[in-house]
Order: sequence, then structure tokens, then C-alpha cells
Amino acid sequence: MRDREPPRIACLLIPDLPWVAVARTQPELAQRALAVAAAPGPRADVLALSPAAERAGVRLPCTVTHARAACAELEVRLVSSALEASARRALLDVALSASPRAEWAPPESGLHAAEATVYLDASGTGSLFGSDAGLAAALAARAFRLGLPAIVTVAGSRSVARIAARRLRTTWAERAADDPGPSDVVPPGGDAAFLAPLSLDLLDPPDALAQSLDRYGIRRVGELLRLPKRALVARFGSAGQELLSLARGRHSEPPPSAQEAASFDEAQDFEFPIDRVEPLLFVLNALLSRLCERLRCRGLACDSLEVQLTLSGGGRDARRIGIAAPTLDVRILLRLIALSLETHSPEAEIDAVALSTRGVPPRDDQLDFFRPPGPAPAALSRTLAELEALCGPGRVGQPEAVDTHRPDAFALAPFAPGPWSPPRENADRCRETPPPYALTVRALRPPVAAQVRAARGRPAWIRSAVANGSVVEAAGPWRTTGNWWSPEEHFAFDHWDVATEDGVVARLRWDPLHHRWEIDALYD
Amino acid sequence: MPSPQRAPRELEGLLRELGPQIQLGGHGAPPITQRPRCPTGLASLDALLSGGFPRGGLSEVAGVPGSGRTSLALAALARATGEGEVTAVIDAADHFDPPSAEAAGIDLGRVLWVRAPTERDALRAVHPMLTAGGFGVVLVDLSGCETRIGARIWPRLRKEVSASDTALIVLADRRIVHTFADLALELAPSSARFHTETGAEGAGTLLLALESRAELVRSRLGPEQRSIPLEAPSPLLGSG
Repeated sequence: MRDREPPRIACLLIPDLPWVAVARTQPELAQRALAVAAAPGPRADVLALSPAAERAGVRLPCTVTHARAACAELEVRLVSSALEASARRALLDVALSASPRAEWAPPESGLHAAEATVYLDASGTGSLFGSDAGLAAALAARAFRLGLPAIVTVAGSRSVARIAARRLRTTWAERAADDPGPSDVVPPGGDAAFLAPLSLDLLDPPDALAQSLDRYGIRRVGELLRLPKRALVARFGSAGQELLSLARGRHSEPPPSAQEAASFDEAQDFEFPIDRVEPLLFVLNALLSRLCERLRCRGLACDSLEVQLTLSGGGRDARRIGIAAPTLDVRILLRLIALSLETHSPEAEIDAVALSTRGVPPRDDQLDFFRPPGPAPAALSRTLAELEALCGPGRVGQPEAVDTHRPDAFALAPFAPGPWSPPRENADRCRETPPPYALTVRALRPPVAAQVRAARGRPAWIRSAVANGSVVEAAGPWRTTGNWWSPEEHFAFDHWDVATEDGVVARLRWDPLHHRWEIDALYD
Repeated sequence: MPSPQRAPRELEGLLRELGPQIQLGGHGAPPITQRPRCPTGLASLDALLSGGFPRGGLSEVAGVPGSGRTSLALAALARATGEGEVTAVIDAADHFDPPSAEAAGIDLGRVLWVRAPTERDALRAVHPMLTAGGFGVVLVDLSGCETRIGARIWPRLRKEVSASDTALIVLADRRIVHTFADLALELAPSSARFHTETGAEGAGTLLLALESRAELVRSRLGPEQRSIPLEAPSPLLGSG
């Protein structure tokens, strides 16, 4: 029997999330000296610095005033929990694009509080990416496309992968702004050998244990491994045993678990409230671009959008925008949101905006030899979304006859022409086939009011916007009635087919419930 | 690289060699007379149209209400959907009636209905469909629309449709495409045929058919100025 392959865990690490989250929304800031402050005002603490700011001599901890004193060109932005949450989810999307088993690392405190880390089960992905190095490079490139310069490492366990990632922090800070994050691979079975020359601090031991080992002059992982295990555990207890197993690369950790289907969201807070549609659309354009890039990364598309506006004064404006067919076209999605905002303007100034969507698979179709070629699914999706943006929501789709006797009832369903097969001969015999050139009607929506004079119980003369004069011929009445149990939906009509002397053949109806004559269709 | 003096001679030689394989213009598409047709299923009408509405061509059907223009255009859709093709109705005045279309034999599952708010939006909606490709027939219903449509739109639409396999049909109260149409039909109403039958419970009347006359007023496909009588029977009567 073949031996089981050793587990492989990939780690995606962003060392400085507050800065990366801001730079993701404003890429032009990526190369500038930038500080992220905890609150407005010159006395606020600086939480994170861009590499350019660190190179300019700004050091943490400091306040905004101190940081500006060190670097006159320093740009300051407020920390945003919404942006950080979006960046975290985007990092998870990158991991899920390669493996269904991925999860966030719990947030840490102290030195690593600004980190964002995602682990994924990389076992068995070699056939997709060629090698672990190929996987790491692909993940780094995908993350960079989403505006996230992440460090990517692959090792035999989460801890070793994270240590390998933290080792690259300096390389990450010194890389060029247009390069993706660095990557590294610890070969299978080589975790202990990789850790041996490293400083013990990278294993993040408890403070007391770290100080004791330092007093004994043990500063490297290799030096720790040379100590007798029994004596080490006797002196340092379970903390010592855990550190030893970590140093040997045998740390027992469960593999990342599979993720439930989640929604995709992007949000942004504004430093100043927005009171006009144009600047809001500018922001929405950027949000949609990031949202669509995340969906593209996962091989999904957007079939509906939830737009949530936080209004000044605490109000909320939530709207759902349906899309005729899944799409990733930002221009179309933006047009649909603009249509919605033009139709129903927000009632107050806007403090924050959030977009949310659930990813759905884009349409796919298998063409065959025996069916006329229809529109390609991807092109059709784009076309439907474009048409809906042009004509408005609910105006594009597949017509459907509704199961009712109401003559003007119809419905629009999402347009999805399914597989077609030629009608069978037997089926044709069973139902009456219409003539090739059959008489149809043009519906009048809403029906046109008519003045009618009747003689001997039949319409004899009509005056309306579409048909006028004496009635030459009349056939009817055909009585339809329904929904008698509902006063609002109850309908009753007496329909007549009438030909007037001006050459029009109309479908005239008498509505006994409202005592009025109307023309609801023209024969044409 | 050939010298400028040699180039014309080489070009002439190439032209002689290729001879009839060379076609002028048309972006590589065959001329309209060689394009396949989209038949209506009515033999006399298809004969008048030299086989049907041309694919890759712009056709126009004009007529007043009661002339049978809608029934004629929907007959082409019924035939196309019956063959499994995907079609579209761009409806500028919201006149399309799904139950009636279904009774006339149209497979509604293969019809994309676009309820355009204005005539301009209706014409703008044609472009994405032609770009997407795969639509057998696109019917643009501009009947009953009052807005004057600029003439510049038609050459652009004709150019776009010529690069596709779609039969583009414009339905209007009067001719609006003029010289840019590959085919133009004018329909004039004749009469509505009713049938009265007297029984034990009294007289009953039924609308049997709408009679009209179709005249081919413009065609790049064959001879023009021919007309035929048409009769659109009520679908309730069946093909028998």
C-alpha cells in the first residue's frame, strides 16, 4: 500500500494589515510615506506605517505629530475596520481559489497584532500548480492582483509555515511597490532542518521560558534540539514540551477546515459625508472593481447586489439590485446601481457604503451538433446585464404566460434558453398546431378607454384613441372572470372582437365591476 | 520586400490568379443575395421574399394597425423558435402579447423580450445582441412610436447586422429605414373576415381571419414591386 503523503500547509501573511487595507483602496499611496492613525487629530496614535514611511525615519510607537516631524511628506489616513474586514476576506478568497480548505488564523496581540494570516490545506495541489513553489508563486500573484501584497509560504504545518513567512518580513518591506509579495517553500520532511538555524524568538515562546533559555545561552532552535528531552520537560513542563515539538516540526495542528459558501462584501467609510450621486458612484466604481476581482479569483460571477448606505443621523438605506444574468462587468453593475439611485435617492447624506453579493457560477453550456448555435453563455450574460442596465430592472427576460384567466397577465422570467430538441411527430398529432401565419394581437398597456354605444346588446359605435366610428362587425361576448375571493384582484370582463369602419380590428371589453369600456388589444 | 515598381505587377498577377475568389467590400461576409434566409413558413410570402427575411440583412415591415404586420413578423419568430433558434423582441411601445404569441406557435422559452422604455433605447439594444451573436431573428417593434428617428442610425445598424447571421426586422407604422433596408414590405389592410352561424340558441359570430395585402417595395434579393394577398387566420382555428 502506498504511504500517505505528508500534509502540506500554505500560509498567506500580510504583516501590516491596516496599511495594506488603505493602500488597497488607494493604490497611488502604495509608494508614498503613509501613516494609519487610530483617530482624527494630531495627538492620535499611529497604528501602522508604510515601508516608505519607515525608510523616511518614522518609527512606532508615535503620534501623528511626531510622525509628521520625522517626515514632512507623510500622508495620514484613519484606520478603517470596514476596509480591514474586506481585505481579510479578500485574502481568504485568494486561499479558497486554490483549495476549498482554508481558514483565518485567530488574531494575535502584541508584536503581531497588525498581521492577517490565512492557512490553506495545500496537500494534493501539486498537480494543479506543478509544485509547492508554483502554488506559492501563483497565490502571491493572485493576492497582488487583489491589491494584497502577501507573503506566501508552504511547509508541513501551520506553525512552520507562519515562521517561514515571518522570516520574510524584511524582504516584504523592501520589495518594489509593483512586485508581489515574496514566497518560500520548506521542502516536505525538512521542517526541522529549516528551523534549526533560526532564532528561538521566531517560535514565539512564552516570555518566562524565553528568558530562562536565554540565560542558559540557548538562542537557536538547533541548540534547543540538542538538549535532552526528558530534562527539558522536567524543568519547563508542558511549555517546554510544546516548544520542543514545534522546534522538531512535529507540532500537531488540525488541517484547515472547509469553508461554507460565504457572501462577498466590500465596504468603505467616508471621512466626510457624501451628498451627491457622482462622488458616490466614483467610490462605488472602485468597490465594484475590487468585488468583481475577488469573484473572478474564485471563478464566480455576481447575480444580485445588496447595496447598504449608512446615512448621517443613523439611518440606513438598503436596496437589492437584481441582475438578469451573472456578470463581472463593472460598468454594467455600476449603471444598475446608478439607475436605482436615480430612481430612489437616499434621504440623507451618506457616511458609509457597503456592497454585498453571493457568488454564483457563471453560465456554462455545452454546444452540440444537433442544435442551432445560440448565443455563447458568457456573451449572453454580458448582453443581458447590458440590456438591463439600458432598459432598467425587470424589463428584460423571457416572456411567460401566467396561469390565470386574466387577459392582460404576463410575467418575465430570467432568460435562459435551455436545450432544444425537435418536436416529436406523435406530440404534434396530439395538439393542434397553429397555422404558419396566425393572427396575433398587440396588447395595449394600459388599456385605452373607449366610449361605446350599444344597440340590441352589441357594440354599435366606438370612440377612442385607437379605433373610431361605426362597428362594422362584432363577435362576442366572451366572458372571463376570476379571483372573486379577493376584492382587490377580482376581475370580470365581457370581450368583443370588433371591426370598425376605419379599418381597425380591436379587442373591446366591458368591465362590469368598474362600469367602463376599454380596448385592451388590437388585432394586427 | 518587393520594390514599389514591382508591387503593382505582383498584385496584378495575384488578382489574376485568385480571380473569382475575390469579393469586394462586405467585411468578408458573402453578399446579401447569397446569405441564408429566415422563412416565415407561408409559401406565398416566402416566395415573394425570395426565401424569407435575409440573415445578415436589415428588413423592414411597415403597415397601419390591422394590416397584419405583427402577425407576419411573429410568423418568422415562430418558425425560427420552432427550429430551435434563439430570437429577440425589442418592444419600444410594450405591445408584445405573450399569450397571443404562444398561440401563434412561438416557443416563448427561446424569446428574449426587451421592454425598451423609448425608441432610442430600443435601437441601442440592438447593438449588444448583434455583438453577442447567436440570435436567429431580432425583431425591433417601433410601431406606434411618435419620436422621429434620425437617419444616421440605419447605416450603422445595417453595417453591424451584415457582420452577423441575424435577420434584423424593423416593424413600423410607415417606412422609416428607406434605402438602408435590404428588404422592405408594406402591408395594407383589406378586411376582417367574420363568420356568423345561427343555431337553436341564436346567432353566434366569430372572427375568422384578417385579410391584407403585402407589397414588396424594396429588395436587394430579387425583383421588387410585387404584391400578394395575405390572410392571417385566428390560431383558434388550427392549421386545418
